[in-house]
Order: sequence, then C-alpha cells, then structure tokens
Amino acid sequence: MDAKPFLSGLSGSAVTITRVADRQWQALDDDLVVGSGYAEYRADGRLFVGIDAWHADTFDRIAGAMLPELPAPLYTVVDEADAAMTDAWRRAGFTVGRREWEYVMPTDPQDTGLDGVLPPAGVTVLPAGEADEGLLRAVDRTIRDEVEAAAGWWQSMPAEVIIRPAGDTVVDPAKYAVAAAPGRYLGLIRVVTVNRSRVGLVAVRAGEQRRGIARALLAHALGALHRSGTTAAWTEVHESNRAATALFEGVGARPVSSNLELVR
Amino acid sequence: MTKDKNVIEAEGRVVECLRSAMFTVELENGHRVLAHISGKMRKHYIRINLEDRVLVELPPYDLARGRIVFRYRN
Repeated sequence: MDAKPFLSGLSGSAVTITRVADRQWQALDDDLVVGSGYAEYRADGRLFVGIDAWHADTFDRIAGAMLPELPAPLYTVVDEADAAMTDAWRRAGFTVGRREWEYVMPTDPQDTGLDGVLPPAGVTVLPAGEADEGLLRAVDRTIRDEVEAAAGWWQSMPAEVIIRPAGDTVVDPAKYAVAAAPGRYLGLIRVVTVNRSRVGLVAVRAGEQRRGIARALLAHALGALHRSGTTAAWTEVHESNRAATALFEGVGARPVSSNLELVR
Repeated sequence: MTKDKNVIEAEGRVVECLRSAMFTVELENGHRVLAHISGKMRKHYIRINLEDRVLVELPPYDLARGRIVFRYRN
C-alpha cells in the first residue's frame, strides 16, 4: 500500500494517506479515518472523483495523493453555492466544464399558462404507462442520435447516472408519456417522483420541433401532477440549452440552484 | 485494508436549508448539526430538501458538524 504521512493540524500527529483499493484512498489520523477519496466510472464511461474530508488541509492532501494516480480526464460535481468545496477542487486543478441550472416550476395550469394547451393536429399525447415499448425505445434512440450529431453533448449529460445494460437508455418505460403520430412517436417526456417530482427528460425529434409538441407534453405532465396533488416539479437544464430554458421559463420555472461539473 | 470509518452515524431530519449548500439536521435525540452533502451524493445529483429524512455521519471530535451520506425515501 502507498502511505504518505503529513501533519494535519488536528492533533499534531501524522495523518497518513493510504491507497486502500484500486480507486479508493483514506486519510488516517491516530487510526481514525479523517477523510476518504474515491474514483468511480459512471455509465457514460467518464471517471468521477470524490473526496470527503472534515478539514481543508486533509482534502488537499488526499487530492495530492490520489489525483496523479488516476487517468485524465477526471470529473467531479459540486453545488455552485458550495464555495468552499468549489475552491477545494479548484486548488486541486479542476476547472468548470459545464453548468447546469436547477429549476422549480408550478404545476397548476393557472400558473403555468398551459391550461388548454393541446398537441398539434395529427399528434396525440399518450399518458405514462400507455406507450408501446418498441416505439418508445425507437424514438428515444433516434432523438439521442440526433442530439449527439447536432449538439454533441448527450453522451455526457450528467443526469444519465443510472447503470443499465449498454445501449439501453429507457430505464422504466412506464415513466414516459409520448407524443404519437400514426405508426411512430415524435417526442417523449419522463417524470419520476422520488420525494419530489422531477422532469428528467423532454425531447422531440429534430424534424418535428417548433410545432408545440414539447409544450404539449409538458402541459400533459404538469397537469397530471397537479391533478394528483403535486404543486411543484423540478428539472435541470444545461446553461447552453436555450430551447429547454425558454420552454421551462415560459411556464413559470425559476432557477433555484446550479451544479458545476468540474474537469481536470 | 480499508479502515472502519470511526464516525458516529445518526438519523435525522432536515429542518433548514442554508446558503453554501449546508443544512441544519435535527437528529432523533433533538441535537442539531450543521451538515453538508457527501461527495457520492453530489456525484449522483441527489438533492436534499426541507423535511427529508437523512443519515448523517458525525466526526468523533466535533459533534456540531455532520455529513449527509444517505437520503431516505419519505
């Protein structure tokens, strides 16, 4: 094992940084674990690191021992409001790779302005649980390919953290409502409720955009939440995604926080 | 060998969301700690809200601070 002693300033005794596993480090002070660092590959293949330490100097020492041992690029995530943590990662050589805003939006149609919003002619919104799984997976795959070809950032979307079989991007088909035309789907929306309701995805095929389909999907999803007694929903939007920003801000969504993805 | 963490774990409830991504957590014994989110929770975009039930790690030398390591489903 690789062990590097240093004085922590906690008790005057030497704190030792030890690599305890392939991608795991620990800081020990008098046999007490006073910090830990780890790295983990996410489903998109990127290597994310994390450090938990009770003191900034311990954080820096773990970073100093751990980061040079790992292959670049390395990623981590911080709440932008957490200035101390953001500074700690900057000291370790990380810079901002992307910023994602978290929005909260009302569900009441009186507040969203979505009362009476319907899909365009020839398009029907199928509620969650009623979509054909084969057509759903097909439109999901198509839209992802279109986004990747145009914007090039779908593969690195931070929300895509659920481990699933390679190539499978639809975790639970029952969570998706879809915009359907005869024989094919044009768009989809996914809402998941764990403690609070989150719009995890809303997307429309490239050739079908600017027809009001995304707005109709959002009207359907927020309306369903409102009828079930849910008063607010959350979502995250990449700061460069102007279409999504306009869509959500257009229904009264307001930013409440931001996440930074840092890279080194 | 991985050492045991030597930390105290306690369940509690988030009673205040503060600036700088900090939270006041009231433990089951009524004690309140100032807590932040663990790195793993940040990495997985797990959000903490008012009234969430959480598991907190406390350092043995400072029981006024904590680290939220798990959020229970309400």
